[in-house]
Amino acid sequence: MRKNIQRVGLLFLNIFFIALCFGVLIPILYAFSVSLNAQDSLIGADFRFIPRDFTLEHYRAVLFDYPVLLWLSNTVILAFSSVFISMLVAIPGAYSLSRLRFKGSRPIVKSLIMLHSFPAILSMFALFRLLMPLGLINTRTGLIIIYVGTMSIFGLLNMKGYFDSIPSDIEEAAQIDGANKRQTVMLILLPLAKPAIVVTCMMVLIFVWNEYIFAITFMTGASNYTLSVGLFSLQATEMAGSWPVFAAASITISLPVLVVFFAVQRYMVSGLTAGGVKG
Amino acid sequence: MIRRKIGTLNAWLLVIPALILIGVVVVFPIGYTGYISLTNMNIFNWFTFRIIGFRNYINALFLFDSGFLQSLGVTVLWTALNMTFQLVIAFVMATLLNIEKLRLRKLYKTLLMFPWAMPGYVSILLWRTGMFNTQFGLLNQWLYRLGMEPVRWLAGDVSAFLSSMFVNLWLALPFMIMIMDGALQSLDKSYFESAILDGAGWLTRSVKLTVPAIKPIIGPAVIITLFTTFKQFDVIFLMTKQPGAQTGANIHTVLTYAYENAFITHNYGFSSAVSMLIFLMLISLALLVNIRLRRVAD
Repeated sequence: MRKNIQRVGLLFLNIFFIALCFGVLIPILYAFSVSLNAQDSLIGADFRFIPRDFTLEHYRAVLFDYPVLLWLSNTVILAFSSVFISMLVAIPGAYSLSRLRFKGSRPIVKSLIMLHSFPAILSMFALFRLLMPLGLINTRTGLIIIYVGTMSIFGLLNMKGYFDSIPSDIEEAAQIDGANKRQTVMLILLPLAKPAIVVTCMMVLIFVWNEYIFAITFMTGASNYTLSVGLFSLQATEMAGSWPVFAAASITISLPVLVVFFAVQRYMVSGLTAGGVKG
Repeated sequence: MIRRKIGTLNAWLLVIPALILIGVVVVFPIGYTGYISLTNMNIFNWFTFRIIGFRNYINALFLFDSGFLQSLGVTVLWTALNMTFQLVIAFVMATLLNIEKLRLRKLYKTLLMFPWAMPGYVSILLWRTGMFNTQFGLLNQWLYRLGMEPVRWLAGDVSAFLSSMFVNLWLALPFMIMIMDGALQSLDKSYFESAILDGAGWLTRSVKLTVPAIKPIIGPAVIITLFTTFKQFDVIFLMTKQPGAQTGANIHTVLTYAYENAFITHNYGFSSAVSMLIFLMLISLALLVNIRLRRVAD
């Protein structure tokens, strides 16, 4: 009797979760189905989640009728330079702040945490005004400078958190065995921190890929559009634009992020809370 | 002695490039914002601005129709509502996910992660066009099928606020559920068995045992979320305030308010003053949280 009650309860729980997952995914599923739908049944009442006729026409339109490949290359250049430069300064800095505790390292960490809580949007106009006379508005360099600045704070704090979690006994043991400082860092610490470095790189990459507000405000020329600005310009409204094409573009742009996210997902929660910062 | 000095020098050399970069790109613009906030810089006074002292601050804080205080009120309400719903819903979801014998738990968790994994701005734009659009949005299609009139979801203040809040919950809940789930899994099961034997129901156990037990574990994540919710910009901006495509709703969080004054109405001095005020609030909030945390730790 008791067992039966339990079984029924479990059944209801499963039904609940299946309904919930479906409900949560509706906006994404709807966009996906619209992007594949050959019929123009958008405004009719006979909309369905599985289209009657499939087509890849909207994806073809996204890739070839719009300069998406140009936007992609702009985004990739921005993303990789930002990751490279910010990690180049953040890894040694985080090592120094975590391992070589010196006078002033604690205040530095504290002010970094404070700066990290400052939303970059608030100093956006000042940045605009400073970059303008340098001719860096509407250039990739201008955006890279901004992204690198904000992301090195994130990288420093995140990497310091990881370095702190690696016990220093291992390095001490290596030093007793005769390894010098350089060797301990290169042969012991960095290999141990490799997963953390990869995850932090991925998070910076996702940040730049998903950044839109600086991009839409600073990038005014169509040849400098990033994926986010491009998608922004494709938006369908009551007046203009095509909702199926916009849906197809949204799915296309999200795919790489989804792949990266689920690849590093295991580390996301610990990575976000270990350093005490959220990207 | 000399060795130690070389050590310190090395430590500084390693950290100085990052500090210079951050100083130039992040700290200096904040200082410059502070300077602009003391001037009457706007689109007509791009070069001819002059220092006017604290007048922008006084206008923001004491001129009631400046709109800053209203946006602050909306932001506080926004933060309180979002945090309450997030904590309660995430707690219930995580508890349900941790019921024994739920075999497909992993699959559900992965599916529920999608809103977090998607690029935030893409999701918000999909919600705006796919769900809330007056013509081809799914919500109005459902209403149409039920024989009802279409609703302009994002046009009214209250309905736009509630729609934005719903989207924000959709975006933020996966992170909170994962945090709660992790915290619940780290609890010692035997601790609860005696309570069950003593006849404590689910609600009593949750309120008296589970919540106090997970509080210290989820603490940091909750505080981080509190700050991100207060600083939320994307949802309200993309849903209602896109340049050239405003929906008519007049709701502002402090961040969208600062942005609008800088890039839409071009009141640079005033916008910078608002920015500095928000920065001060964030710092005081952080200090307050820090003091309370330290008191709890002692």
